[in-house]
Amino acid sequence: MVVVDVGFDELRRLTGHDEKGDEELKADLFALGIEHEGETDDGLAQLEFAPDRLDRLSVEGIARSLRYQYGDDRGISIPRTNDPDWRYEVADSVPAERPYATGAVVRGVNMDETVLDSLIQLQEKLHATMGRDRVKGAIGIHDLVMLKGSEALRTPNESSGERERDTSTASASDGRAGEAHDPSGRDPRDHEAAGSADNTITYRGIEAEADTFVPLDADAELSPSGVLSDHPTGRKYAPIVAEYERMPTIYDEIGLFSFPPVINGRRTELDADSTDLLIELTGTDQWTIDRMCAILCYALAARGGQIEDVAVSYPDRELRRPDLAVETKRVSHDRIESVLGVDLDPETAIDLAERSGLDARVADADIDDGEGAHVEGNGRSGTAASTDERNTPTGTDGSRSAAGDSTDGGSTAGDVMYEVSIPPYRQDVLGPLDVIDDLGRAYGFNDLEPRYPDVSTVGGRHERSRVERAVRQRLVGLGSEDLLNFHLIADAENYDRMGLTSPDATGGGDETADAGSNDADDRGAVANGNGTDTPFGALAPARIREPYSAEYGIVRTWALPSLLMVLENNTHRAYPQELAEIGLAAGRDASESTGLAEFRTVAAVLARTDASYEIAKSRLAALCRAFDVELETPPTDHPTFIDGRVAAVVIDGVSTGVIGEVHPEVLVEHDLEVPVAAFEFRLDALR
Amino acid sequence: MQLPDAQLAVIEAASATDQKTIAQLADETGREPETLTGAAFDLAERGLLDVTERPDETFALTEEGATYSADGLPEIRLYRAAREADADDDPVSMGQVIGASGLDGEAVDIALSNFARKGYGEIDSGALSTSPDADPDADAEAAALDAVAADDANDVATDTIDRLVQRGLLTRSRATERAVELTDGGVTALMEGIEAADGVGRLTPEMLTSGEWRNADFRAYDVEADADRTNGGRVHVLRETAERVTDVLVGMGFREMDGPHADAEFWINDCLFMPQDHPARTHWDQFALSEPAEIADLPDDLVERVKEAHKEGVGEDGEGYHSPWTEDVARGMDLRGHTTSLSMRYLSGEAVGELEPPERYFSVEKVYRNDTLDATHLLEFFQIEGWVMAEDLSVRDLMGTFTEFYEQFGITDIEFKPHYNPYTEPSFELFGTHPTTGELIEIGNSGLFRDEVLRPLGVECNVMAWGLALERLAMLTTGAEDIRDLHGTLVDLDFLRNAEVTY
Repeated sequence: MVVVDVGFDELRRLTGHDEKGDEELKADLFALGIEHEGETDDGLAQLEFAPDRLDRLSVEGIARSLRYQYGDDRGISIPRTNDPDWRYEVADSVPAERPYATGAVVRGVNMDETVLDSLIQLQEKLHATMGRDRVKGAIGIHDLVMLKGSEALRTPNESSGERERDTSTASASDGRAGEAHDPSGRDPRDHEAAGSADNTITYRGIEAEADTFVPLDADAELSPSGVLSDHPTGRKYAPIVAEYERMPTIYDEIGLFSFPPVINGRRTELDADSTDLLIELTGTDQWTIDRMCAILCYALAARGGQIEDVAVSYPDRELRRPDLAVETKRVSHDRIESVLGVDLDPETAIDLAERSGLDARVADADIDDGEGAHVEGNGRSGTAASTDERNTPTGTDGSRSAAGDSTDGGSTAGDVMYEVSIPPYRQDVLGPLDVIDDLGRAYGFNDLEPRYPDVSTVGGRHERSRVERAVRQRLVGLGSEDLLNFHLIADAENYDRMGLTSPDATGGGDETADAGSNDADDRGAVANGNGTDTPFGALAPARIREPYSAEYGIVRTWALPSLLMVLENNTHRAYPQELAEIGLAAGRDASESTGLAEFRTVAAVLARTDASYEIAKSRLAALCRAFDVELETPPTDHPTFIDGRVAAVVIDGVSTGVIGEVHPEVLVEHDLEVPVAAFEFRLDALR
Repeated sequence: MQLPDAQLAVIEAASATDQKTIAQLADETGREPETLTGAAFDLAERGLLDVTERPDETFALTEEGATYSADGLPEIRLYRAAREADADDDPVSMGQVIGASGLDGEAVDIALSNFARKGYGEIDSGALSTSPDADPDADAEAAALDAVAADDANDVATDTIDRLVQRGLLTRSRATERAVELTDGGVTALMEGIEAADGVGRLTPEMLTSGEWRNADFRAYDVEADADRTNGGRVHVLRETAERVTDVLVGMGFREMDGPHADAEFWINDCLFMPQDHPARTHWDQFALSEPAEIADLPDDLVERVKEAHKEGVGEDGEGYHSPWTEDVARGMDLRGHTTSLSMRYLSGEAVGELEPPERYFSVEKVYRNDTLDATHLLEFFQIEGWVMAEDLSVRDLMGTFTEFYEQFGITDIEFKPHYNPYTEPSFELFGTHPTTGELIEIGNSGLFRDEVLRPLGVECNVMAWGLALERLAMLTTGAEDIRDLHGTLVDLDFLRNAEVTY
């Protein structure tokens, strides 16, 4: 879940709904899947939502969603962009791990403290989510006034690259519609000239000591390596670039001004008076940073900013950014009805799409799948276009509304296919189901009538859980308190405090083969009568990597340690304490695909003044009789138990456990002042 | 008429004309007064006897009283010593008299203070003179002491007794004395003849085999008295909740799944279309294993299809993630963070072979999360997982299924809040109103599995699924406030012993 701090007054202003009270806004937000979690010290509302709609990571984005929800806005809107004045040159020297750059210039932002705070929050939240803590994508926003691109006069070049964005967007989107995304970040416009961009910044890799700049929150010139070692922000993000051969840096005419993904320079720092901004992003994936950039551009456009394209020049290609192209997804009417479980008129479906901030139009039904995605010359599928389209299929549709519930009986609109346009700030729409989800939200999922599916199946328990239940009932009948202990345990509890030695402590790392002999097919090795093999419980454990707490460092290899711990924690409670557990234990086993043999184990302890081997055996024998298996208890050695009062549990000829009186040393170790008799064996033995 | 032995003894010893105390009856019958009292009341209840109660005081000599009873009261000894020194004529030195009396210690003070009070003489300026009218043989206190010693204190004046009690020479104990007298009914019954019947405390095997029980009169118990506490064995309260959930789901046609707790990330995350750089896949959220570190076998073709879904997406204009994907990461071993890994093994055909719709499956099994242990979070807890596989499932079918399920637990009016999961779309968080507190609480997460999940698994129809923490349900049904009471090694046995049964 992600949390964004938002001022309700600001939200009212941006949505144009001054009449909405706080409570009303909260209810409207809940309907969007956004929960009000509380307030910040500054009185901002903390809004929490699932991390799919990252375009909502700012008050501007949330306001946009609300305006669609209120019906104030419909369909797709794309900010117009001006022609590029700036060129981002990506040098050969950039670190191979971080080859991609993108960005935009935004002029005339109505900047103030509120807008600046919101922008900084959006930047941070994008870093934390899509940017994967700046690894995958990092944003730098600079005051354009402080940058120097070129000595040359900034004369717009009328002849070469001039494109009217309102038309070019459409052709761009159509051009891209059928393209599968190329992970290399290639763009259909790669080879279009960006022409007039005379001012240049350069993304390049340098040696860590090769240059210096004054970073944010510092007064002195530092080299990149100095930032990483001496600056608090530098130290925080140093791990990202630790393995880079060269440090990623961005230069303008004056010099080094940004050290992505670590920190910006102080020279270009934003303040509440900055109106013209230069945005640069670098990262490990072109698509990701382009989406992050689009979300930023939409937020700034909502603040009056005029977006200006930039030309991104790679050594082998040139891109025009920001990428505000519209993606299209094909969704069939059938699928919409089937997933939502309701009948819809096609115009209703289109209406729902527009209320979700999407555009939808009926694709030509004749067009074949693969190529059909391109609908040439239609331009942006705006509201006007879809109004024309939506009348076409409705003639055949009158009967459908009366059809009521039936969704699967051949729909007359069944062959209708929509081409749905996805705005560039949406990074979460991967396929048709994501579009249908949007339509469902606009429809109101809670307005759907639940129905029990007309699907007949036969239920039943797994055999393992049936045998477990049967053993549990028997043990409870014999007087045991049934327990449910953690499967995670400390090394010390599992071995040392029971008088055992961990196989990892003695044999070094590679004892898995040894543990392998203890799997279910060869249980004779476990606690056998001769006591020559591993004592029961002393398997090599599954071990957690970098556990927070050694208390939960391994998966238990037997259950008696858990029961002893419960006795230890309950010495102030009334005796007798007769406990039993049927639960999971596991030991490493190279013969298993997972490398781990998991099994259910049956363990019981009797803590009472007259606890004895004989009473324990009497219980065990009762259990074995109930399952019609033969029990033998040949003497064995086991460090947890008193010598001469411990036996192997041999069931139907297979040694599968241990029974005895717990050794005084183990009792004292667990602060117990009553004798304890115990047994444990593998559940499989009773099956 | 038959009466128990003790009652027979009482009724025979009682008289219709004279009241007899229990003590007298005890003397006559040689039985314990307690037995006789009980029998007397039983007879009174039958209307055969009247029992009269009156308060009764008895006195006993204290140690000091017994000494004085034997040796004489100190003041009298002082008087006699004074008389021997002829103090009736002239006052005699006090020291001389005391010496002659053989009194010492506290007894001297006692003698002196009572000497004057009781008019045995006067003490003036260290000299002592006796009164001519004094008569130690008529001393009421001395007589009273002797009477108590002789157990015949009935006629002693009350104020004398009070005085002696005050002097600490006597102890007084109050009791109720009961006296019995035959009623007319009792006389009649006696005249008709009464036989002894044994009062039976315990029914014995001998009584049963001999038929003796037919004549037995079973002594009535105080059936309202508290009995000793029994704990007995019982099923863990959380297990009871799990069993209840299992019953409900089996009843709804669900079949139970089973599978590994430690599994490859492939089954836990990759099949679920969780991008490999998803924040929840870092070890901060789930337990990665250092040993065993890697799974040995994964189905190659499935790995290929899952990889393609991640990289390229599914469907004609589906899209993958713009995230790296390697099989190495997929092979890494974790403790499962959800039981959806089981669903993946079943849906892929890996667990029980290819499945044909319709199917319903569930599990109520443990999952592991790298969290901080506190009153509402555990490192391991039970997840209820269920899914339905069928052609043309809609969100309405999903809503209908869950509405039905939760109604079994008294939770009606479920709300479906649209939600996001990487593996389902549409997705819903389920909210319900707590049956007692009225609070709106999250009770589950659900959705239709994405095409990107199902197609690589080879499933062409729809699958809807949901998950829920069992402990959350149990906290609602048991009222437990600390989840650690419900589950785990930190459990308080008294909590388990006192928990209300769930069924």
